Amino acid sequence: MTPTTSEAARIEASVSLPVPDLDADGLVDLFDEGPRLVGTRCDACGRTMLGDRIVCSDCVGTAVTRVALPATGVLYAFTRLHVGAAGVRALGYVDLAGDVRTLADLREDGQPLQPGLAVEFAVDGDDWYFAPSAGPAASAPAASAPAAADANLHANPHDEVEED
Amino acid sequence: MTENVHVISAAMVPFGKHRSSSYVGLAVPPLIDALRGAGVEKADVDAVYVGHSYGGMMTGQRICKEIGLGGVPTVNVDNACSSGATAVHEAWSAIAQGLVEVAVVIGVEKLTQFGGGTLPLSPEDREVKQGIVMPAVYAMRANRYLYETEATPEDLALVSVKARRHGALNPFAQFRTEVSVEEVLGARPVADPLTLLMCCPTGDGAAVVVLASERARARLGISSSMRVAASVLHSGRVSEGFRDMTYPEISAHSAHDAYEAAGIGPEDLDMIELHDAFSIAELVYYEAFGLAERGRGIDLIRDGRTTFGGDVVVNPSGGLLAKGHPVGASGVAQIAEAFWQLTGNAGDRQIDDARWAMTHVTGGGTAGLDHGACTVHLFEAA
Repeated sequence: MTPTTSEAARIEASVSLPVPDLDADGLVDLFDEGPRLVGTRCDACGRTMLGDRIVCSDCVGTAVTRVALPATGVLYAFTRLHVGAAGVRALGYVDLAGDVRTLADLREDGQPLQPGLAVEFAVDGDDWYFAPSAGPAASAPAASAPAAADANLHANPHDEVEED
Repeated sequence: MTENVHVISAAMVPFGKHRSSSYVGLAVPPLIDALRGAGVEKADVDAVYVGHSYGGMMTGQRICKEIGLGGVPTVNVDNACSSGATAVHEAWSAIAQGLVEVAVVIGVEKLTQFGGGTLPLSPEDREVKQGIVMPAVYAMRANRYLYETEATPEDLALVSVKARRHGALNPFAQFRTEVSVEEVLGARPVADPLTLLMCCPTGDGAAVVVLASERARARLGISSSMRVAASVLHSGRVSEGFRDMTYPEISAHSAHDAYEAAGIGPEDLDMIELHDAFSIAELVYYEAFGLAERGRGIDLIRDGRTTFGGDVVVNPSGGLLAKGHPVGASGVAQIAEAFWQLTGNAGDRQIDDARWAMTHVTGGGTAGLDHGACTVHLFEAA
């Protein structure tokens, strides 16, 4: 072995610190726009992810920003679950603008659920859910209008299948 | 990796609700039978690989010590539904590299310990915290598949009907009775559009296979075996956003790599044991494995092309839907079925002149992944 140089001897291993992720408050928080799903955007590549995250799963950047996710999206698929304690429970995957998918409870509000349906985020006490949008995408709240336009693009996923 | 690897023996207990049997009680009998079947002594065994997800600490050692098998590496493997097949992959890898000559692989699981309900998933997972369960994942796949294709709930039922018809021929199957399309559609709803008879049952079981190098096979005087033509293990790739749930990428890529390694294609297969945890899975795997065009998996089940007398017999054992699905045991049990089929020991469900077999397990409900793990094996009669 060669002796270490005085410069190399000063290098120390960095200390990796655990993330207190169990303390996170869940997926919803109050933002300027109102209550929204919590997202994390990578400062380096712009990839947005669901929830509080410390690293980008795409470029592995650790400079990330906590963001409010769009309140509108498109229902990708759903089921009514008949097992478990909650009685019959409607669950689905919702694709939000910016290419973020979330699992969500669904409420039907009299409009039958089907894939491709425009849906909107809502909060009811401690629960949050998505329900069919009240009207056409144009009537979506002003704050999320661009998101709604994006969401419509997602209504046809055949055009954007990503295979590696 | 030039060493040829063979499966030289297989044994299993019938899958079912064996409430009075522990992991040890389930696995020791097939362990003894698999060793005896190949004329393998304890001293011949160089390594043991044990697939399970819920057996707890040192499951493999608890089993092996009952027959005084020790002193060699014993590796416990958890990869959810792929645990058993991952254990086979590890054994194959060690033999192919020339590190090991004879390896024993045990797949074992006891699901009745949970007293019923859906499979317990990791409570650390984001979607598990939200209340996801495996039937809901597959139900959403089915919902989207029905939306995008011409498939109907009757097609989902046909998969279950075929599975139960095959299972009726298999003494190792948990369900030995046939069902009709009407019975499947009329069964209790679990997660729309899936009914109870479109979901694999809860059960217990164990399966054991013995793998050996070409040299060890000759030394042991084994005349009837199957060669491992490909052993592929993939893990899921995360998607934060859109994912096409009708095209399970991890299974498609694993199958593609397996075909390439073996130098064969889907048209060469005589049988497939695939991961039909829920009936929708079989239809999308037909397409992922290249047996059918996208959206046309339904043609195979409607036209009877995946049963005895068809192009390729899919799940001759009855599959997970009829044979049962004790998670960590399933991958090894599939390989046991392939072994019996390719060596002409499959009894009433024997496929004539079976030469090529594929086995496939994939699983693990994890947010953002199609599945956590996928294992595909190809075997050739030797």
